[in-house]
Amino acid sequence: MGKIIALHSYKGGTGKTLLSVNLAAIYVKRGKNVCLLDLDFRAPSLHAVFKTNNSEYWLNDYLNGVCEIDKVLVDVTREHGRSGNFFVGLANPATEAIREMSAKDRKWEMRALGRLLSLKTSLLNDMHHDYVIFDTSPGLQYSSINAIVSADVVLVVTSIDKSDIQGTQRMTRELYDLFDKKTGIVMNKVLAEILSSKKEKQKFYKHFNSVHKLPILEAVPCFCDVLRAGGTYIFSEEKTEHPFTNTLDKLATKIEKF
Amino acid sequence: MAIYKKLEGKPTRILEKIKESLDRLNEKIDAMIEIQKHGQRVNPEISDVLDVMTLLSLPDHLRKTAITLCKIGEATADEVAEQTKRARAVESGYLNQLVIMGYLKKERRGRKAYFYVEKET
Repeated sequence: MGKIIALHSYKGGTGKTLLSVNLAAIYVKRGKNVCLLDLDFRAPSLHAVFKTNNSEYWLNDYLNGVCEIDKVLVDVTREHGRSGNFFVGLANPATEAIREMSAKDRKWEMRALGRLLSLKTSLLNDMHHDYVIFDTSPGLQYSSINAIVSADVVLVVTSIDKSDIQGTQRMTRELYDLFDKKTGIVMNKVLAEILSSKKEKQKFYKHFNSVHKLPILEAVPCFCDVLRAGGTYIFSEEKTEHPFTNTLDKLATKIEKF
Repeated sequence: MAIYKKLEGKPTRILEKIKESLDRLNEKIDAMIEIQKHGQRVNPEISDVLDVMTLLSLPDHLRKTAITLCKIGEATADEVAEQTKRARAVESGYLNQLVIMGYLKKERRGRKAYFYVEKET
């Protein structure tokens, strides 16, 4: 039985999409069948990464009950598959669609939760995906909480910014604990000098383990090369030996065992 | 005597009938407890929405039952109890509380009671 992994954060810009895309690519490279879904309906971004703007159906349509999930999934195995199959589900980036999604009522959100929960059966059991990765929108809002409730594992991506740390602490305590979710922290954009020696690294992990009272799965250093790539390609696919790819490779292994 | 004659030779059926009646009685007691707690009868016709924000506001024991039912879709108290690893009678009580609060719907089919979150029309 596969796993649904949701990547979430308190603040925006922490690197959820970058990590989601690259984790998905790493699992595909390992021969896993992966499905990556863009659940950030306020700021869709996977269409830009996978250069597909003309999807017939979007995840918006699936949640609206217009179609089933198989109609939404775009097969990108030919362009991005290495050993496993790679599917993506995109959020509609049109302004009108974003506006429409932000005006949904509580009843719609309740039905959307039901449809997200049923993905466990359709994507993992029926379509035999090994990993389904949810890239969510930041903060406490319906779409992201629905995604968290529907996931098996939640990765909270956070930086070392004070407001992000405090917000993440509150969010994990007041939200994640209530839903009894298996949660791990991924510290992103960590300054390289903080992780320069083994001793410093251990100190860093120990400190943030006690701050968040959750396991720190990985500390991903900040790399200029990643910024330079500017999201024009999937970094771990192109730069297979880069330390960023190696770090995410370790993270992928930890999630498998988590 | 007439009833006894009618059911003669069918002791299992009698026991089933008694169990069924006890189950219904249990549900009624749960409903009465809930009415006493709230001081008024909650109108089962008026349904509230069981969205994630509502789930967050529920007490822990009811949230577990509600999320489990959301995951299964439609289930009997037995099926929910199997997932939550709590006793059937406990889950039956919680499910009926959620019905009284207007978050779930209940439908009797034969001898079984099915609970579900509002169905899509």
